[in-house]
Amino acid sequence: MGLFDKLAGWLGLKKKEVHVLCLGLDNSGKTTIINKLKPSNAQTQDIVPTIGFSIEKFKTSSLSFTVFDMSGQGRYRNLWEHYYKEGQAIIFVIDSSDKLRMVVAKEELDTLLTHPDIKHRRIPILFFANKMDLRDAVSSVKVSQLLSLENIKDKPWHICASDALKGEGLQEGVDWLQDQIQAMKT
Amino acid sequence: MAATSSSSSSSESNEANSKWLDAHYDPMANLYTFSSCIALADLHGDGEYKLVVGDLGMAGHTMRLKVYRGTGLASESTLLDLPAAVTTFLMDQNEPRTPAVAVASGPFIYVYKNLRPYFKFTLPPLDANPLEQDVWEQAKEDMIDPLTLKEMLEGIRDKAEIPLSVRSLRFLAQDVPEMENFVNLHKGQPIKRQTVITCMSTLKKNMADEDAVSCLVIGTESADVLILDPEAFTILAKMTLPSVPAFLDVMGQFDVEYRVTVACRDGSIYILRRESKRPKYCIELSAQPMGLVRVHKNIVAGCSDETLQGYTQKGKKLWTVYLPAPLMTMSLLDHKSRGFQAVMVGLANQEVHMYLDKNLVDVIRTQDVVTSICFGRYGREDNTLIMTSKGGGLIIKILKRTAVFEEKDMSLGPPVAQSIRLSVPKKTRLYVDQTLRERENAVAMHHVFQMDLYRLRLMAARAYVKALESSLAPITSTLQEPIKMNAVVQGIGPTFKLTLHIQNTSAGRPSINLLVSFLYDQSLYAMKRAFFKAPMLVPGLNYPIETFVECLSDKGISDVIKVFVLREGQSMPLLTAHINMPVSEGLAAA
Repeated sequence: MGLFDKLAGWLGLKKKEVHVLCLGLDNSGKTTIINKLKPSNAQTQDIVPTIGFSIEKFKTSSLSFTVFDMSGQGRYRNLWEHYYKEGQAIIFVIDSSDKLRMVVAKEELDTLLTHPDIKHRRIPILFFANKMDLRDAVSSVKVSQLLSLENIKDKPWHICASDALKGEGLQEGVDWLQDQIQAMKT
Repeated sequence: MAATSSSSSSSESNEANSKWLDAHYDPMANLYTFSSCIALADLHGDGEYKLVVGDLGMAGHTMRLKVYRGTGLASESTLLDLPAAVTTFLMDQNEPRTPAVAVASGPFIYVYKNLRPYFKFTLPPLDANPLEQDVWEQAKEDMIDPLTLKEMLEGIRDKAEIPLSVRSLRFLAQDVPEMENFVNLHKGQPIKRQTVITCMSTLKKNMADEDAVSCLVIGTESADVLILDPEAFTILAKMTLPSVPAFLDVMGQFDVEYRVTVACRDGSIYILRRESKRPKYCIELSAQPMGLVRVHKNIVAGCSDETLQGYTQKGKKLWTVYLPAPLMTMSLLDHKSRGFQAVMVGLANQEVHMYLDKNLVDVIRTQDVVTSICFGRYGREDNTLIMTSKGGGLIIKILKRTAVFEEKDMSLGPPVAQSIRLSVPKKTRLYVDQTLRERENAVAMHHVFQMDLYRLRLMAARAYVKALESSLAPITSTLQEPIKMNAVVQGIGPTFKLTLHIQNTSAGRPSINLLVSFLYDQSLYAMKRAFFKAPMLVPGLNYPIETFVECLSDKGISDVIKVFVLREGQSMPLLTAHINMPVSEGLAAA
């Protein structure tokens, strides 16, 4: 980092870059959440199922996020692990109205947490219990119970209920993530 | 409730290495059904697959068509009669591509679109027995009383080839006082003979795509197989079987080429093809069929004698697997993304076994006996296993993304090597002649063999006794003096060096006062000392005793030199060794 970059950093002109992985089952709302976090002029109207992955960027007050929005479809889930090394934080999205596939989400989370690239790193994980607006959605407490999040001892994690269509709950989560990343860097 | 109950279920011990995730278990779902009455389809065209179940209810009432979405019941509608089969199929090309639900019950097929009644198909009536018609005609004109009618109908029932109509059968089942009323009530209507549907399946019309229009294929109690047009519900093809179909499997496309495999109640499987009015192949099973599944191109039938049998599509038997318990139901596991197909078998011992060909690849233990199995896409998950149990429970399991079925057999049994085929050479003429001869003269050959064997044994015994009596063996037979001896001849002649190795093999007793004597032909050999005293033999040690033998003959002949080890004062040798002397070559050379 050159002197000018440092100076810019102190002055708050250039923001620190972080790489974030956005994971979760298909149809859980990953792309919708990322889309909603982008500035309103860059948002797209129609969200289609992601193929492979897509890279999105957005900025918060002090950080510049580069998000790897991974596809959640079963046949693309084996791509996830190739990006674990680069990720400095993880956003895990859960469809809280899909009670049937809660076990699948738990299985994928367990595989993620036991992966050698993740296991011994203290990286923050943000959970979005998405689709809270739906009638048959379960509460975020229930979701954390179903995924047995209380067993995650060595990583900071946070779960927040969200409704990605309206954008509710997203800012709370991203603020937490930003605090965690800054706490790690200093 | 259901999701938590599944996580606290008893099968947690082996959950870690299980290939399945317990997604949902509701023991109180009140679903009583069989594999034929269960189907998965994207009923609303929204990408979320629903479960359609024809619920048989309890004791023949409260029959319902239930639709499940996720873990909950989405809708239910009452059925008029017990469902025989439930299937989903696309009727037309219209968007959105929402499949219709067909429920076969009695002689009717009820077709639902958007879960609303849409069409009712009735099987064409069959010809009634003319004799029966005459009798009822007479009853109508009050020419005969109910008792005579009863006798005449019974006569027809016992003899006629065309069976009686349902009305006559019900009449015969009435008590005598009620017959009068029954006749008066029904005699006005003409006699109709109606058959019922026993099984139903679908057949793609002209495209092999997943979302192509399909025809309904039905099997009836009158031993016919009918193929119906998907839109007009006219009969496109009719085939007759020798027996009543119980299970159907259809592959191919109606307009191109298709193959209908039917397991019938006479314990046979018939294979029909396009343009064939009669079965092309017939497989006779060892017992009644309990289920029929097609894996790739092979047919797998489950039988009531607790076996699973595999056949080729031409009816050649491939294998038989013996099941540990009676078979309740069976279904196909089609893992499309891996191109993997296996047969799932629900057993009466509360287990579901998965067979890849004849190999058992996985076992699922369930809380209740499973009566129906369905594998496919449910909700948004591709590999979901849905089972209903005898007690009305609903079990939903999801195959793990990382699960791999190994092709090797996990059940104990004969090793794989046993089933490897050996390349046995062709039978030669000589071999055939020999076998024939052996087959004809088996007894005589056995006698000769036995005789020779006895002789051999006798000779061996005699020789042994003789050796023991004369102590000819190089090892002593007496226990007091266990001595071993061997002799080595060295040299090429005319002088040979003869080394005797004598060893006392007893545990702790030394041998003393032993003499060694040589017996030889004195015209041939000369020896410095033919008789000497052996040293004391300490147990375990090897005593080499060397002597020189000179050959006197130059004619190139040799003889045997006998060595005796004797005890002082006894003429009987303790042991004897025969040394075959080599021919003296030294003299000839000199």
